Amino acid sequence: MSAEKVDVVIVGSGASGSLLAAKLAQAGKKVLVLEAGPERKASDLFSSQLWARRLKWSGPRVESVGKHPINVVFGHGWGTGGSALHHYACWFRLHREDFEMKSRFGLGLDWPISYDDLRPFYDRIQKEVGVSGDAEKEVWRPPGDPYPMPPLQIFEQGRVIARGFEKLGLRTAPLPMAINSVEYHGRAPCAYEGWCDAGCPLLALANPLAVYLSQARDAGAGLAHHAYVTRVLTNQNGDRATAVEFFDARGERRVQEARLVILASSALQNPRLLLNSAGPQHSAGLANSSGLVGKFMMTHAAGNVFGLFKEKTENYRGVSGGQLVSQENYAKDPRQGYLGSSQWLIANALKPNDLLGIANARPDLFGNALHQFLATASQHLATMTFVGENLPSRENQLTLSNRKDRSGFPLAHITHEFSSDDLKCFEAGMQQGKAIMKAAGAYETWSNGPVSMHDLGGTIMGKDAATSVVNSYGQTHEVSNLFVAGPGIFATSGAVNPTFTIHAVTLRATDYVLAHWSSLS
Amino acid sequence: MGSPKDSGPSEITRRELLGRVGSGLLILTVSTPWGELTPAEARAKGASFKNLTAEEGALLEELGDVLLPGAGEAGVAHYVDDQLSRRDPLLFLKYMEYPASHLEFYRQGLAALERLSQLRHGGPFARASQEQKVAAIRELSQKNPEGWNGPPAPLLYFVVRNDAVDVYYGGEEGFARLQIPYMPHLPPPADER
Repeated sequence: MSAEKVDVVIVGSGASGSLLAAKLAQAGKKVLVLEAGPERKASDLFSSQLWARRLKWSGPRVESVGKHPINVVFGHGWGTGGSALHHYACWFRLHREDFEMKSRFGLGLDWPISYDDLRPFYDRIQKEVGVSGDAEKEVWRPPGDPYPMPPLQIFEQGRVIARGFEKLGLRTAPLPMAINSVEYHGRAPCAYEGWCDAGCPLLALANPLAVYLSQARDAGAGLAHHAYVTRVLTNQNGDRATAVEFFDARGERRVQEARLVILASSALQNPRLLLNSAGPQHSAGLANSSGLVGKFMMTHAAGNVFGLFKEKTENYRGVSGGQLVSQENYAKDPRQGYLGSSQWLIANALKPNDLLGIANARPDLFGNALHQFLATASQHLATMTFVGENLPSRENQLTLSNRKDRSGFPLAHITHEFSSDDLKCFEAGMQQGKAIMKAAGAYETWSNGPVSMHDLGGTIMGKDAATSVVNSYGQTHEVSNLFVAGPGIFATSGAVNPTFTIHAVTLRATDYVLAHWSSLS
Repeated sequence: MGSPKDSGPSEITRRELLGRVGSGLLILTVSTPWGELTPAEARAKGASFKNLTAEEGALLEELGDVLLPGAGEAGVAHYVDDQLSRRDPLLFLKYMEYPASHLEFYRQGLAALERLSQLRHGGPFARASQEQKVAAIRELSQKNPEGWNGPPAPLLYFVVRNDAVDVYYGGEEGFARLQIPYMPHLPPPADER
């Protein structure tokens, strides 16, 4: 069964998919977004860490193995808006050196573009979406326009931890957030209730429902839910994408023809789709003559440092992502004994339960000791999150499993291990973090991790088909009307949350698609 | 059942809890022949388990109560059992990417705990002394005890501990026990299936 042919079919309604849908539909293209999960509305975003679990990945199982396996479910989305629906909106720019790892340091990879190529798109996006922050205080920030909104409020937890940074001569700045500090483009300001992980029903946080998916629908883009895409179909020569195959809510196989196909599902599912799209002309998978589809999977090495203070910290106030940032350790300097950047996200709003809840700050405690800890920590705990770089490695890879999903297609199988540089960087961060908490006055400090945070790579961009899967616009080297969008095309991870860069790279791609429409379609 | 000494002064009465079912602030409800009830209510009324056997439910309650005293009375076993019936369960186990059936995770884990208890002190977990229960949990929180035949023991510890925290502290009444404001922007519905 085939539906009417569209100009563009986009697989996935997350950060990149919704932006692409909005811009291409606004330009008059007939756009259809296929979303594997159910529909989510703002009125579904209930204030509860239990209900938040509904928004997390519920699709086909991803087999995650290796010395440091990637956590799949918590960080991925299921339904309208994908993982961006429950992202924490810490919006950073990558730094210049993140684009030039190989040429500057001889490790990792180079992007085919520089920060200067991307800067105008960061500037456009932050104005369209709305970002709160203080660019002057972010002394580490690469050049760019000031933020369109003042920073979000700082609460007691932020002030307490900032004291420790200051005593050690380390600078902090308000965390740049895609969360409204004031009313912006008709969207309300943040209420500081700390339920970002459960999705923001206020739409103060710039999730896809708040901005681009709403714009896409207004411009006439279609959005189909329970549309689980399994393959990209091509012409007989295998050099043009013609359609995608998907299974609908009733489990019936359908085909959607399109002039342009964009894979915007996730860094884990996009390479799986390409590998599952193998055919007579591309037996190793579509757009995979380099053998690099699924290679160079990356994440961030994350951990939390905790401190208990005699004073009350009001850790229930604020937003999930934190209140302050410090990038004093961002500059890559091999003389440290490792190569890697890191940053601190300071003073995350906390809830008692769930994976990142207060109870799991001390997973060793149970019985009355756990009650006592919760009673104390809910009033006096402060925490900050370390985000560390993960150097790209070909051995960190996604392949197809021997096991299959309900539609008969192989599952994703991911192997991941942090490098020794990543682990040294992480350990240095944990030592520094505990020293900061002590300097701030904590009477007890400890840390956890490393765990994975964010997923990147697997369909990396580069200058040619021998060393990469896509070009800097996400266009596959081998199939000119097939694009990949999202963090999967990043060539390095940097040490910042990726969503702002996803938007900037995607906006650049939409300009390219529209400028070259006649040749692409 | 144990009762926490540090649960704070803000205990919420049964009448208040029932009142909140109507206003949608309860977050957790269990489907019973008497309608949607809190897990504690379902337990107090002796609601039958739908997935676990009565023995498995009782053992889960015992385990939850040692992990977090008060969680048994708060209805941790009824909560888990009810969620196992739901189309889109809210259980913490979802995060753990457990490769087999969630019901079998609990069943096999509880059976393994019972075997461990028999092995260690010749009787069921429920009849063990508090010291013996604590010792058993400390053991399984670290690694699989010798002869353990079930899901990874530390995973069982971690998951049921989080179930207990969810049911005891994960709703508005739990926040009140900790004397912190819940601040719901959009209260969850009480009876969503």
